[in-house]
Amino acid sequence: MKGITLTALALALATSTHATTLKWAGTTDPQTMDPHAVISAPVLGFLNNVYEGLVRRGKDMAIEPALASSWEPIGNGEGWRFNLRKGVTFHDGATFNADDVVFSYLRASSEAADTKGWFAPISEVKKVDDYTVDFFTKAPNPIFPDSIANWMIMDEEWSKSVGATVPSKEEGNAATLQTNGTGVYALKKRQPGLETTLTRHNDWWGEDVGNITEATFTPIKNPATAVAALLAGNVDMINPVPIQDAARLEQNSQVKVHKGIEARVIMLGFAQQAEVLKYGADKGKANPFLNVKVREAVAKAISVPAILRTIMRGNAEPASQLVSPAMRGFSEAYAERPSFDVKGAKSLLAEAGYPNGFSFGLKCPNDRYLNDEAVCQAVTSMLAKVGIKAELDAMPVRTYWPELRKDNFDMYLLGWSPGTFDHEHPVRFLASTPNSEKKLGSWNFGDYSNARIDELLPMIQSEIDDTKRQAMLDEVTGIYQSEHAYVPLYIQPLVWGTGKNVTLVQRPDNFFILRWASVN
Amino acid sequence: MFNLTLPERLDRILKSDFLWRLSRSPVAILSLLVVTLLVLGAVFAPWIAPFDPYDSASLDLMNGFTAPLTENDFTGQQFLLGTDDQGRDVLSTILYGMRISLFVGFASVLFAMVLGISLGLIAGYLGGWVDTIIMRIADVQLTFPSILVAMLIFGIAKGVMPAEYRDQMAIWVLIIAIGLSDWVQFARVVRGATLVEKNREYVMAAQLIGQPTPIIMWRHILPNVLSPVLVIATISLALAIIAEATLSFLGVGAPPTQPSLGTLIRIGQGFMFSGEWWILLFPALTLLALALSVNLLGDWLRDTLNPKLR
Repeated sequence: MKGITLTALALALATSTHATTLKWAGTTDPQTMDPHAVISAPVLGFLNNVYEGLVRRGKDMAIEPALASSWEPIGNGEGWRFNLRKGVTFHDGATFNADDVVFSYLRASSEAADTKGWFAPISEVKKVDDYTVDFFTKAPNPIFPDSIANWMIMDEEWSKSVGATVPSKEEGNAATLQTNGTGVYALKKRQPGLETTLTRHNDWWGEDVGNITEATFTPIKNPATAVAALLAGNVDMINPVPIQDAARLEQNSQVKVHKGIEARVIMLGFAQQAEVLKYGADKGKANPFLNVKVREAVAKAISVPAILRTIMRGNAEPASQLVSPAMRGFSEAYAERPSFDVKGAKSLLAEAGYPNGFSFGLKCPNDRYLNDEAVCQAVTSMLAKVGIKAELDAMPVRTYWPELRKDNFDMYLLGWSPGTFDHEHPVRFLASTPNSEKKLGSWNFGDYSNARIDELLPMIQSEIDDTKRQAMLDEVTGIYQSEHAYVPLYIQPLVWGTGKNVTLVQRPDNFFILRWASVN
Repeated sequence: MFNLTLPERLDRILKSDFLWRLSRSPVAILSLLVVTLLVLGAVFAPWIAPFDPYDSASLDLMNGFTAPLTENDFTGQQFLLGTDDQGRDVLSTILYGMRISLFVGFASVLFAMVLGISLGLIAGYLGGWVDTIIMRIADVQLTFPSILVAMLIFGIAKGVMPAEYRDQMAIWVLIIAIGLSDWVQFARVVRGATLVEKNREYVMAAQLIGQPTPIIMWRHILPNVLSPVLVIATISLALAIIAEATLSFLGVGAPPTQPSLGTLIRIGQGFMFSGEWWILLFPALTLLALALSVNLLGDWLRDTLNPKLR
C-alpha cells in the first residue's frame, strides 16, 4: 500500500525491567472513553490502545486477525463467520467469548451509538458456539471484515454491571470514564481535558510489543505550546507538529520529525436543503447554495495551490474527491479538481442571479485539523474576491459537532478519513441521503441527496467484481463532483514529533499505536 | 476660575510652570512624543495604513509570510513590517489593532473613573452606612486580581448574550469588564480626599447658605479632589491597555475579526518557533512602547502634581 511510513523499526532493547513511561500530547482530548459513542479519530485512535476489534489493521493498514483468529464467508455471500481467539482476558480478568461479541454488536448498532452506520449491511448476528459468531448480511458484502477494524469489543458482564449497556454521547455514563478492554493498555486514570494515563495489561494475548509500560496523554490545545513542551523534554511525542515548525524542528538534533500523508481529505460542505440563509447580512433570504452554479463558483474561487504553498507550506496534496489517491476505489477518471478561476466564478454567480454576491455564515473548527482556522480565513478572503462575503465563526471541536448536528451553518469545513480505507466509506457517510433507520449519511450535515447515489451504494457494497465496483464508484464520483456536493480542498499531511530516543510507527489514519512505540 | 474666557485660560496654562517642568524632563517629552505618535497613528489608521486588514477581498494569500522589507517570491510585493499567515500587512494590522486597544483603554478608564469618582464622593461625603457598604464592596473586590474580575465579568456576559451578537458586543463587554475591575482605585482616592475637604470652611459655608448636597459635592468638592484622579487615570490607562491585551491574548477579548494588539500577539505566538518573528515582535513592541510611555507619563504627572515630591 502506498503512503505508508515505517518511520522506524521498534527494536526495543528490552533489557531492563524498569518502568518505561511515555508522555504524549495532542490538540484534542478524546471526548469519551466509550468506543461506540463517538467515531471521531481522536477517540478511536486513543481507544485502539485499550480496546480491540475482531480484526485490526497492521502497520501497512492491511487487515489482520485480532480477537478473531480467522474468518470466512458463509455460503454464497450470505455473510461472514468469525472464529474467535481463545484465552483472551479483559483487563478485569473476565474471559472473552462470543457473548461479548454479540453484546458489542447490539451495543454498537443501537440507536444511541455513533458506530451504527458500520452495521447498516448486517441483518443478523448469531452465536454459533462460545468461540464462533456468524454475521449475516442483507446482500453479499465483500468488504465487511475490512469495515469493522475500529469496532471494539466490550465485556458484556462489565458493561451491565456498571450500567453502560448503551453508549451515551452527550450525558455520558460509566463507560465514558472507565474502560474494560482486551488491548495492550488498560486505563489507569482518566481526567477529561487534563490527563489520561494508560498502563500495560500484562496478560495481553499478542506479541510484538514495545517497551512502554505506562503512557500519559495530555491535550495541549495550542500547537506552539506543544512544540515548546517537546523541546523542553516535558513530553516524548506530539501530534501534530504545526506545519510551520516542521522545517525548524528537523534541524534540531534533540527531536525527530515524522512525516507522512494522512488519509484525511479536508473539504467544504453546504446547507443543501435549508430554505434560507442562517447567518450574515442576508440572513433569512433564499439559500443560494441550493443552486449548483453557486457551489461550482465556490469551488472555482478557491485557490488550493495558494493554501498549500503558504498555510500548509508545501506539505499537502490537492484533493479532487472525497478520498485520497491512496484509498481503494479512488476514481482515476475524476482526478481533476476544478481549476482556480476568479472570472469563471464571477460569471457563474451572475448566471445564478447573484451578480453582486451575497453574504452567509461559514462554520469552522479551530482545534481539529491542521491550521483549520487559518484555512477558513483564507477561504473567506478568496470568496470575498468573487463577491461572496463569508462571516467566519471558528470554534473548538467540542461545540463544533453539536452546532453542525443542529444545522447551524450555511457552509462548513469538514475533514474525512475513511476508516475502511475505501471510497465506499465517505459515500456512505457523506454522500448518501441521511436515513437513521438505514444508518446512512450520518455525517452528511448538509443533507446532500441524490437518488442515483442512494441507488448505487448498496450495489457497490455487494459487488464482488472489482472492475464493476470501480465503474459504479466512478459514476458516484462523477455525480457528486458535477453537483459539487462538497468542495474537496486538500489531503491533510501527517506530521508528528518525538524525542530522539523514541521509535514508533506512523499509520496513515493518524492513529498512534502505543504497542509499536519504544523509548530507548 | 469658572468665568475665564478661552484665551485667558490658554494664557494661564502657558504661563504656569507645567510646561516648564515638562521641558525639564526628557523622559516625559519622549513618552509624550511616543504616545502622541501612536495615538495619531491609530486615529488616522484608515488614511495612513497601506492596506485595510478588515477588507478580506483585498488580501492575497500568496503574500503570506513575507519577511519585512523583502520581496515576496510570488507576487513581488514588499511590506515594511512583513505579512502574517493570511498575507495581511503587519503594519496595517498594528495600526488598526491599536485603535481597538486604545479605544478600549480610554473608554474603560473613563467608565471606571465616572463610577469610582461618583461612588467615592458619595461614600466620603455622606459617610455612615453608605460609606461602609461602598467601601466594603471595594475592599472585597481588591482582594481579587483585577484581570480575574474582568475575566469573570467577560465570561458571564458571554454566557448570557445570544451567539449572534457576541462578536459585535465583545468590545463593549471588554470595556465594562475592565472598567468594573478598576473603579476601586478611583473610589478610594476620591473618598480620602473628600473626607479631608468636607470639613473645610468653604464647604461649611456652602452648607450654611443651604446649597443642596449634590451641588456641594459636584461644584465645590469635586474640583478640589481631581488632581490625584488625573494621575491615577493615566496609570490606569496603561493598566487597562495591558488588561485588554491580556484578555485578548487569552482568547477571551477582542474577536479575531477585530484584532487588537493582544489578539495579534496571540496569532504571532503560533509562529514563534518557525522563524516568522515579525508577526509576533512588532505588535509586541508596539504594545510595550504604548504601555511604557503612558506609564512614564503617569509617573511624571504624579511627581509634578505632588508638591511634596518636587
